[in-house]
Amino acid sequence: MSDQTRQLDTRVRFVAPENIAFEHRLAGPFSRLPAYLIDLLIRVALMFAMMFVASLIGFAVRSGGAVFMLIMLCWFVLEWFYGGLFETFWNGQTPGKRMFGLRVISVDGRPISAMQAILRNVLRAVDQQPAFAFPGLPVYSFQLGLFVAACNRRFQRLGDLAAGTIVIAERRERMAEIVLFEDPVVQAVAQRLPATFVVPQSLSRALAKYVERRPNFGPARRREISGRLGTVLCDLLNLPRKTDHDALLCALYGRAFVAKNRSSEPPRPVQMASAVESSAAEPVA
Amino acid sequence: MKVADLVISRRDDWRELEQLCQAIERRKTRRKLSGEQLARFAALYRSACADLALADSYQLPPTTIRYLHELVGRAHNQLYRSRAFNFRAWKQELLVNIPRRLFHDRALWLAFAVFWGFFFGSMYLASDLSPLPGFKEQAVGEEMLQSMEQMYDEPIAQRGREADFDSAMFGFYVQHNTGIGLRCFAMGLLLGVGGLFATIYNAVALGTVFGHMTTVPQADNFFDFVTAHGPFELTAIVLSAAAGMRLGFSLVSTGGLSRGESLLKASREAMPTMGVAIVLFAGAGLIEGFLSPSAAPYALKALVAATSTTLLLLYFVVLGYIQQ
Repeated sequence: MSDQTRQLDTRVRFVAPENIAFEHRLAGPFSRLPAYLIDLLIRVALMFAMMFVASLIGFAVRSGGAVFMLIMLCWFVLEWFYGGLFETFWNGQTPGKRMFGLRVISVDGRPISAMQAILRNVLRAVDQQPAFAFPGLPVYSFQLGLFVAACNRRFQRLGDLAAGTIVIAERRERMAEIVLFEDPVVQAVAQRLPATFVVPQSLSRALAKYVERRPNFGPARRREISGRLGTVLCDLLNLPRKTDHDALLCALYGRAFVAKNRSSEPPRPVQMASAVESSAAEPVA
Repeated sequence: MKVADLVISRRDDWRELEQLCQAIERRKTRRKLSGEQLARFAALYRSACADLALADSYQLPPTTIRYLHELVGRAHNQLYRSRAFNFRAWKQELLVNIPRRLFHDRALWLAFAVFWGFFFGSMYLASDLSPLPGFKEQAVGEEMLQSMEQMYDEPIAQRGREADFDSAMFGFYVQHNTGIGLRCFAMGLLLGVGGLFATIYNAVALGTVFGHMTTVPQADNFFDFVTAHGPFELTAIVLSAAAGMRLGFSLVSTGGLSRGESLLKASREAMPTMGVAIVLFAGAGLIEGFLSPSAAPYALKALVAATSTTLLLLYFVVLGYIQQ
């Protein structure tokens, strides 16, 4: 089942039979284009290969008609059923889609059936209109498909709408490790954190995002980004103003995700505003 | 328990699930998996689901949550794989549901009326009785008419087409005619207008050629050729146009459903019809490739035409009607 009301961006949520919601990322027209071009290339290559094989057979049985028949039948199958058959037997993927990590699934999150696969591929004949006559070959512009895909939230072209399918991008995400900071500066700041301070959930989420992206930033950028949160936190935690803000955030990250001395009961979120007030009321020891 | 410990304790399971996913994604390695491993895959998938469900209360970092979403989705797509062809359901669909649906399908009646209306209309206009003498030249062009005349200059029986050439033409007919049918179907999606246009276009072109051929000396040769495969081929064109129009009209008249739902419903119904049309095209191709150009007596060809017409009537009218 898909849950359309919650879709804000290109992530769609599905509910699995195990009663768990998980997300897929939709593939837009321009990530599907390269896959289509690869499939087109493969189709042309297969066509040439079949012509070659058919002419060999033709030589063997001494019949030009058989060659022509084979070529025509192959052309027919490749033109209309290449995508549909691959998507049926390869679980929603064609060679091009597999190369670019795309997959076709039903709008309800389940895999597609043979009928859906064939329908969405036959109806590409409409989506690829209007066509322009290029010397010798028609060139399809896919404007209709693009227009329709732009008009709905899930980038479905007409064939997708009729078959009830969507195309998703499967990324191979590497599992993110919990980062351990051995840096003495961070350790020193961590020592000075108040023992009773529990990192609230929203803050720990922000910290995780910061630490994830931190390796990509230079020192100046780190100072700039950690500065805003760092100044507030320094006041809140009674730390000296000149504390390295980057190290402070790393230390808090360690407190949130790694430190041993936290109680196992669910954390009680600290009220930021009241905490600031109380710390302001008590003179610093 | 601390988040880091939790992640470390679960990490091996996730990795194992990832590896199993990888193995299942490739057909070669999938075959080698034992039953135990497959059961393990399902168990690991469920436990990853549970981890994802509790991710928020475990306070896992967002990156780990994103990784879990990806992992669960990937395993889900392997556990529930695409369903291939179900032949038993096809039989029920083919012998019971399709005839009934088609018999009551107003799009089919419309396509039928439009196609044959325009076909006979242009046939009349292109024949000797025509009130519009210049019609046929305008409809299909002088060159087309001349090339048709040339094609049927010799009697079919004396043309001496080799058997070799017949199989070649069979391939061509399947590729070309079924292509026309499928295009007719797909164009129907344009609110039905595209399908109507394709139907009228084909009906006028065919009708004009038929009408013209009655006026020239090659008439006998022409009808000797087209009689046998005509019923299958023309019915198949009407069927594909009707299936396409069903799609297009479903967007206009939704019967209370949303437009998307209405299109989905119509396309589920149109697909089997299209399947029947493709079978008919292939049958017509067989006849057109091997029987029509042969030296067989005209009586045989007429018999084939009569038989196929009877079969079609049996299928659409009798099977369609008795199901009421």
